[in-house]
Amino acid sequence: MSTRNALGEAKKGSAEVVILAIVEHEAHHGYEIAKLIEQRTQGDLRFTLASLYATLYRLEDRGWIKGRWVEKAGQRRRCYYRITEPGRKVLAAQREDWSRFVAALGLVAGVKYA
Amino acid sequence: MNARRDWRALVTRHAAATGADLPRHTLDELAAHLEDIYTDAVAAGRSDAEAYGLAEAALAESALATVSRPRTRQPDARPVNEISSGRGLTGLSGDVRFAWRQWRQSPAFAAIAILTLGLGAGAATAIFSIVDSVLLRPLPFRQPEQLVSIWESHAEKGLPKEKLSPVNFMDYRNTQAAFSEAAAWWRPEVALAEPGLEPVRVSTIETSGNIFEVLGVSTQFGPGFPTGGPLNSRDHIAVISDRLWRQRYNADPSIVGRTIEANEGQYTITGVMPPGFNFPDDVDLWLLLDWDLTRHSRGAHFMEAVARLKPGVDAGQAARELAQVSGRLGEEFKSTNGGWLARPVPLLDDMLGYYRPALFVLLGAVGLVLLTACLNVAGLLLARATARSREMAVRAALGASRARLVRQMLIESLLLAGAGTAAGAAGAVVLLKVAIATLPASVPRLAQTTIDMRLLGFALLVVAGTALLFGLLPALVAAGTHASEVLKDGTRTATGVRGRQLSRALVVVEVALACAVLVASALLVRSVTRMMQAPTGITTAEVVTATLQIEGAKYQQWGSVEHFYTTLLDTVRRQPGIEAAGAATAIVLQPGWRIPYAVDGRPPMRVGEAPIAQYVTAGTGYFETFRARLVAGRFFTDADSPSSEPVVVINETLARRAFPGEDPVGQRLVSTVDQIGPLGRNLMFTSPEIQSLPFRIVGVVGDIHQAPIGQAAEPVIYHPVRQFPFRAMTIAARGGDTATVVSGMRQALRTLDPSIPLSNVATMDERMVTATAAPRLLTAVLTTFAVLTGLLAAIGVYGLLAWTVSERRRELAIRLALGAQPGALARLVTKQGLALTAGGVVLGLLGAQLASGVLQAVLFQTQTTDVAAMAGAATLLLLAAFAACLAPARRAARVSPIEGMREN
Repeated sequence: MSTRNALGEAKKGSAEVVILAIVEHEAHHGYEIAKLIEQRTQGDLRFTLASLYATLYRLEDRGWIKGRWVEKAGQRRRCYYRITEPGRKVLAAQREDWSRFVAALGLVAGVKYA
Repeated sequence: MNARRDWRALVTRHAAATGADLPRHTLDELAAHLEDIYTDAVAAGRSDAEAYGLAEAALAESALATVSRPRTRQPDARPVNEISSGRGLTGLSGDVRFAWRQWRQSPAFAAIAILTLGLGAGAATAIFSIVDSVLLRPLPFRQPEQLVSIWESHAEKGLPKEKLSPVNFMDYRNTQAAFSEAAAWWRPEVALAEPGLEPVRVSTIETSGNIFEVLGVSTQFGPGFPTGGPLNSRDHIAVISDRLWRQRYNADPSIVGRTIEANEGQYTITGVMPPGFNFPDDVDLWLLLDWDLTRHSRGAHFMEAVARLKPGVDAGQAARELAQVSGRLGEEFKSTNGGWLARPVPLLDDMLGYYRPALFVLLGAVGLVLLTACLNVAGLLLARATARSREMAVRAALGASRARLVRQMLIESLLLAGAGTAAGAAGAVVLLKVAIATLPASVPRLAQTTIDMRLLGFALLVVAGTALLFGLLPALVAAGTHASEVLKDGTRTATGVRGRQLSRALVVVEVALACAVLVASALLVRSVTRMMQAPTGITTAEVVTATLQIEGAKYQQWGSVEHFYTTLLDTVRRQPGIEAAGAATAIVLQPGWRIPYAVDGRPPMRVGEAPIAQYVTAGTGYFETFRARLVAGRFFTDADSPSSEPVVVINETLARRAFPGEDPVGQRLVSTVDQIGPLGRNLMFTSPEIQSLPFRIVGVVGDIHQAPIGQAAEPVIYHPVRQFPFRAMTIAARGGDTATVVSGMRQALRTLDPSIPLSNVATMDERMVTATAAPRLLTAVLTTFAVLTGLLAAIGVYGLLAWTVSERRRELAIRLALGAQPGALARLVTKQGLALTAGGVVLGLLGAQLASGVLQAVLFQTQTTDVAAMAGAATLLLLAAFAACLAPARRAARVSPIEGMREN
């Protein structure tokens, strides 16, 4: 596998793991999720409306997150997303893959052995 | 919140415009999202229009068609339960793929490691296999450990290993306390000539009849020599090898009883030896001795012997017994036996000769190569381990269990070990083939060498063990360290320091090993150079030599032999392009017959006390061809004929010993031999008064080295071929162009007698090279090993320094910031590398002295403490280390102060 491909794969996968991480401890609706991602990545990672919701629906389809509609007085009804048990396992696994990937990047980019 | 805005309508319009068919829930969600954007923007102080614009922009950049929520839930491609079991991508196959990627990402590292392991294991297995097959397997004789060769030596004369006098042999054989039986033989030049078959020279020994009994082998068919029969007999019987039987006689089953014509005699074949039996080395014909061993001279050393030790007697005991007998004989027969010592040598050691210590040296060297290879890979892995301790810590912090990390590293190491062992196995096969092809065929049992599976297994185990042990270190290091500590600053943890200390030690040991191998090979290079430069007394340039053996009815009379060689040399000399030609029974490096002599007119010595000189027959023009130095008098001419006065030329050593302060030219020598056995057949003076026949000294020639390289010069008496002819001679011709000289020699021979073959055609230079083939070969192999280990050591130094520099960037940057010059940093790094190397060199020089015992056995006039060799090895290593320092030093000098500070 070439490094270029690895990066492509990684980018695609990153959206999912980021969202899973955001909803790991607390349920959030779409806008909150988008805001949290922007905050936590200091603006490095940004979703368009379409990509955010496409990802959310994909994750829900896989059963890794679960959306719940909540209606509050004087507000629009919103869908709050929360991680599921399978989602947690995926997240744990992906975290490890990611750290490896980062390490691998480090090897490629900087650290050289004799 | 702003009720004026219908966010849902906005989304619906946009969806319709882009052709997206969105379900109601999605429209609601998107509407709420836009509203939140708007509300936040207004809350942040934007104007209403600006806030609305932001929401619209968010919608505009979205391709809503991609947000199509499936109406039905599709089962996921990856079953949930597989994820929950922690397998799949993150499982074993994932680990293997990850490990593979790790190696792919550092191909140079992987290639060096695998190549190193492969070469180390391959070379070790190939050499081990050869040593096992050649040295360690017992000989195919009955109780081979009881068999010894017997040789005589004379320390004062510088003769370490001489053939036996047949009379002495009979005394040794009677040493009943040590030997149960002993056999002796000599090597006549034999050509087989039979009607209807092409004449052929065969390697022959004429041997006492008990040889096969001593060895404990019997013929594959035929009675062979009579069991328990006499040592010698006039019966003229012969035993032939399986090879000769098949090649010359087409495996004729009725061969036993057939008569063959060997030289002048007719012999009856009484047996065929089993396949592969060619004792003592490459013999095809065993003739039963036809003369009495006791009726000869004690001074003539031309017999070889093998004896069987009595059960319970060891070689040391036999040596003491033989020394006693030698001492007794030395007193009894002072001139012939004084100073001579007989000693037994275990048969296998003896058959291997130089190759035995040589193979042990190689074995030691290849062991060091394997060790260096393993240390090198260990050092590389260790450096990698410390560099990866951060990665390990991060992964541990992210929740990877210790077992998980160990498993990952185990798989990485296994991949490396697997590749290393595969390379090792391939290396062993290839290197063994190369070794067998390069080693001279004269190494006994070499051809039977195959890869020993146990040895290969062992070498591969070492290799795999190294890769596994040091490959696992990163995980073990990580497991044993607090993640936070590593994360804070990888360079300052105890692990980093420990790892670096270990790495330094590895590099020092590597350098030491390389230094030891380098010293050994440097010593051998010196030794071989000395051998090639050893004075021979002749000029080898432009001289071509060939051996000749004439036989058949035409040459029954010695007069015809003399006539043949005289005419031949004359014809050769007349060929175009040939400047000089001559012939001799023993040319340079070959000893002649050692026979007693006396000076005519001096009081007669007691029988057996006469001094010994080598007897060589030389044709007219021989000395001139080799440009030997004429010290006094003249060389031979064709006028020195059978009818003229018998003359000799003596060498300087003889002149000095026999005629101190006198002019030897004009004096006369006599041979005091009373019965000269095989030599007697060749004499033209066959009268019984031979012992009183005087030879006039007509010239003195500068010493020509008539002995193996390294032995002292001996007195030599040269006879002219016209007065003392032999049928087998080596002819030599000198001319500017080798091809012309060879074709001239062939042409001359053809015109004289086309049936006689010219064999062993070689230039004199080639012969000198062949004479030093074994030490040259050893030198070549060892030098290869030395270069290999030196290279590994240099890689080790480089690896350590490169790693140190990258680890110490921050420190270096601070030094720079505090005003250090970049050059000083480069020197700092170089100094560190050279200091480690110097330490290794000192250890290596000392270590090489530990092996001086085995090394001395393969050296010629070179001490293991040879300063030039040691200095050369040390210099070479320091230079290699210096070269290895360059790149890391340059990197150190280029560290930017800021770059270093930024790193955390």
